Amino acid sequence: MISIQGLSKEFAVSGGNVAAIKGLDLEVAEGEFFVIVGASGSGKTTLLRCVAGLELPDKGTIRIAGQVVSSDNPPTSVPSQQRRLGMVFQSYAVWPHLTVYENVALPLAEGAQRVPRREVASRAREALRLVQLEEVADRSATLLSGGQQQRVALARAIAVNPRILLMDEPLSNLDARLREEVRGKIRELAKQLGATVLYVTHDQVEAMAMADRIALMQAGEFLQVGSPTELYRDPARVEVAEFFGLMNWLKGRVVQPGLAETPIGPLRFKGAAAPAGEVLLGFRPECVAILESASHAESNSFPAALRSSMFLGDQLVYHAAVGEQLFAGKCRTVAACSGGRLQLYIDPDDVMLFSAGKRVDQETAAARPSAAVRAAG
Amino acid sequence: MKQAVLRLPAFIGWRNQASPALMGLALAPIGVILVLVAVMLWVSFQRGLFGTPTAIYTLENYQTILSDPFLYRVLWNTAIFTLTTTCVALLTGLPIAWLAERTTIPGKTLIYAIMTLGLLIPGIYTAMGWTFIAHPRIGFLNRWLVDLFGLESAPINIATPIGMGFVQGLSLAAVAFILTAQMFRAMNPTLEEAAQVHGMSFVTILHRVTFPLALPGILAAVIYIVTIGVATFDIPAILGLGNRVYMLSTYIYIKVHPQGSGLPEYGITGAVGTFMIVVAALLTSWYGQVLRSGHRFEVVTGKGYRPALIKLGRWAVVGWLFIGLYAFVSKLLPLLLITYAALTPYFAPPSLEMMRQLSLVHFYNMDWELVLRGARNTATLVLVVPLLVLLFAFAISWLVVRSRSRARYALEFCAFLPQALPEVILAIGALLLALFVLREFVPLYGSVWLIAIVYVVARIAFATRALNGSLLQIHRELEEAAFVSGLSTLRTARRVLLPLLWPTLLSVWLWTALLVYRELTVAVFLGIHDNITFPAVIWSYWYAGGMNKASAVTLLMTAVLAPLIVAFWWFGRRSQVPT
Ligand SMILES: Nc1ncnc2c1ncn2[C@@H]1O[C@H](COP(=O)(O)OP(=O)(O)O)[C@@H](O)[C@H]1O
Ligand SMILES: [Mg+2]
Repeated sequence: MISIQGLSKEFAVSGGNVAAIKGLDLEVAEGEFFVIVGASGSGKTTLLRCVAGLELPDKGTIRIAGQVVSSDNPPTSVPSQQRRLGMVFQSYAVWPHLTVYENVALPLAEGAQRVPRREVASRAREALRLVQLEEVADRSATLLSGGQQQRVALARAIAVNPRILLMDEPLSNLDARLREEVRGKIRELAKQLGATVLYVTHDQVEAMAMADRIALMQAGEFLQVGSPTELYRDPARVEVAEFFGLMNWLKGRVVQPGLAETPIGPLRFKGAAAPAGEVLLGFRPECVAILESASHAESNSFPAALRSSMFLGDQLVYHAAVGEQLFAGKCRTVAACSGGRLQLYIDPDDVMLFSAGKRVDQETAAARPSAAVRAAG
Repeated sequence: MKQAVLRLPAFIGWRNQASPALMGLALAPIGVILVLVAVMLWVSFQRGLFGTPTAIYTLENYQTILSDPFLYRVLWNTAIFTLTTTCVALLTGLPIAWLAERTTIPGKTLIYAIMTLGLLIPGIYTAMGWTFIAHPRIGFLNRWLVDLFGLESAPINIATPIGMGFVQGLSLAAVAFILTAQMFRAMNPTLEEAAQVHGMSFVTILHRVTFPLALPGILAAVIYIVTIGVATFDIPAILGLGNRVYMLSTYIYIKVHPQGSGLPEYGITGAVGTFMIVVAALLTSWYGQVLRSGHRFEVVTGKGYRPALIKLGRWAVVGWLFIGLYAFVSKLLPLLLITYAALTPYFAPPSLEMMRQLSLVHFYNMDWELVLRGARNTATLVLVVPLLVLLFAFAISWLVVRSRSRARYALEFCAFLPQALPEVILAIGALLLALFVLREFVPLYGSVWLIAIVYVVARIAFATRALNGSLLQIHRELEEAAFVSGLSTLRTARRVLLPLLWPTLLSVWLWTALLVYRELTVAVFLGIHDNITFPAVIWSYWYAGGMNKASAVTLLMTAVLAPLIVAFWWFGRRSQVPT
């Protein structure tokens, strides 16, 4: 549905140019909920604005439903008005001088699509019903709460029957509780409408909760594209692993297939053989298990001293030291802990190997950067 | 080539939304300004018949003015005049601003009303009124003092550089007030509170904290007033021309409109004008620097901070006496005397005897054909100019605020240019342009449209700044949301932008209309017969010695002005004023 090739965009700022996007490729299938996630300043908004036609790319081609909407060769740029999109802005951009109903109806009545006059009202009402704002339809848009304004923006975007729904951090201005509630509703609504969604956020939890697929963006480039589970469980790079959750890291050296020498002793791992050089071994806190007793001296089992713990209700996060090395772990209780001494166990299945920042214990990891292209096929 | 294709749209920021028409609208007035300056320079280097093959390019004009002792006398007059103006304006405006912004004085709305009215009532009213008060021959105050103390000659002479400076200062006190009030408002009171908490006395705080913090703002106000003072025409013309006391602006006037059989000396005018451009440009760039250095002191303040107000107690009475005196001396008394002069057959000090002679004779005798012609021209200007100003300023503002290109800084600078160019200069530039460049190709000389063009470019700077401010407040995503959801550029402007900008547009319209309505300088320089304006009718009566008739016309003009001022008060008081 969206197909982007070699997209680049620079901005002129005082003291030179900044490259906001550096040669991106992206394929989004019809009906897909695609999330672009990344730290602030990584170029997400710029990418979205290029798709919307609000920013003119320097290089590259953008196609929507097969039609070229923006290209540098030959120079083409279809005006925003004719791209038939819906967009929810970070500021919501709800027109303050209009009522809720008028906000939704204006694009229908006076937009490029020219919806027949008698259909305008019914379609606007229908959109407002979908976001549950029928009751406040005649109120001035500025009198609404943040969450309601966000829904007005959403209703306005879906009312025009867009080919693609673009959303730029639509939840970042809401408080935490509301955010969790709304993100479920947005995904539900998108699926109900069968909409193709390009969604931008900086919040990795939001990304994983909503996406069919995610692209992690950094400094104008995609680090990895894949499903939420792929990105979380099989990160192709150190940055990806760290972005989606806490990691424990150990420096080490592969001494034989499946075994690495580390400062806390030998550590087994499951993956394919790796070069016998310096590697970084990583595993997530929830993969650290606490053994009942230290009696049976298994491999990958280490005695540790509990240093701190934090009770968060649904889980308990603790830090424990193995020798000099501090590890984070997660469990439901540390009842097994007695006198501050623990026996930790790390499943070889959960250990990931990185060398020079890249994943090395999986053959798939090498092929990962082209995952986007694969999805297009 | 492809780069070029991509660059032009990039200038606009929204390649799809902005049209060449918009850029044309933005560049047209700026082009006019540059042309006016260029014509003046061009003429200043010529002798003979300008713009014809017989013209000689020479530095003679500059040599002539440099060796003219009369011009040095004029410069000296201008210096004294400007100095007096600045002192009077600041010593009146600054304390009132301080009272209104930093003390508990009651009736602050009324203070603002009085001072805004001060901006709206033309300086020529004050000047005419003060002629009746303190002119050496006819001024009633002088006559009373002479009779009372048996003096040989009149003790006060308003027709001197100091006297004119005093009148001009009264007129600009309102500007000083607005500028310094803004400064006091922007000042962070917690800085003073911090000094207080750490044990400094009121006087020490005033001296060590408040004053140093206020200094850049005050200096900026001083430069601004000096810039106006150096080039102002109307008050020196009303008070000085008849008495042969000349300032730079009136010197230019007599070079262009020589009395008797002399020929206009346009080359000299161009040279003096060029000199004034340089002075004005230097002052304006200095003003910009001071303003910028003032931002150094700006401390980010929270939204709802309440400035610490100084309790005045009984001193409030003194404050109000001061304000009342200002209002009386600068507005009320002059207006009263103008009314009196309009209703008496000849000017004599007010007395019971004169009260018996009150009549409407001047209204019967005035040249109604002339007055109506003036009214018609002014009406045309008031209808046309503000709309054009809004149109051009909107185009400039939109590009300056919304585009991403570095060219927008150049655009912003150019739009600020007319601020640096005194009206006298624009008027002379337009006169020379019409006479020697356009000539019979485009017969603009003597047409009301020539005046309209100058008015439009002269008011662009203020309008652009007011609109920039408002446009910045309107999140660009509000427009982008309209584009993405399919609204065309025009519809976006009509349905989203205009409704949101409406209050600013209205207040800019009103201000421009009021200033056009009362404008005298350009009208006098460019007006001949058909294109005389309402204020220029007053001027022509006055200059010809018909003071009472001039007063009668002034009264008529005020009758029309009053509802406009009320309208302004109703709609525009919350918005910016043209400083
Ligand atoms: N209009 C602009 N002018 C100059 N630089 C910009 C502009 N918009 C974005 N940038 C720069 O481009 C980079 C990416 O910005 P953006 O796309 O807004 O990031 P994100 O949305 O991921 O926070 C940043 O370095 C930002 O400073
Ligand atoms: Mg962003």
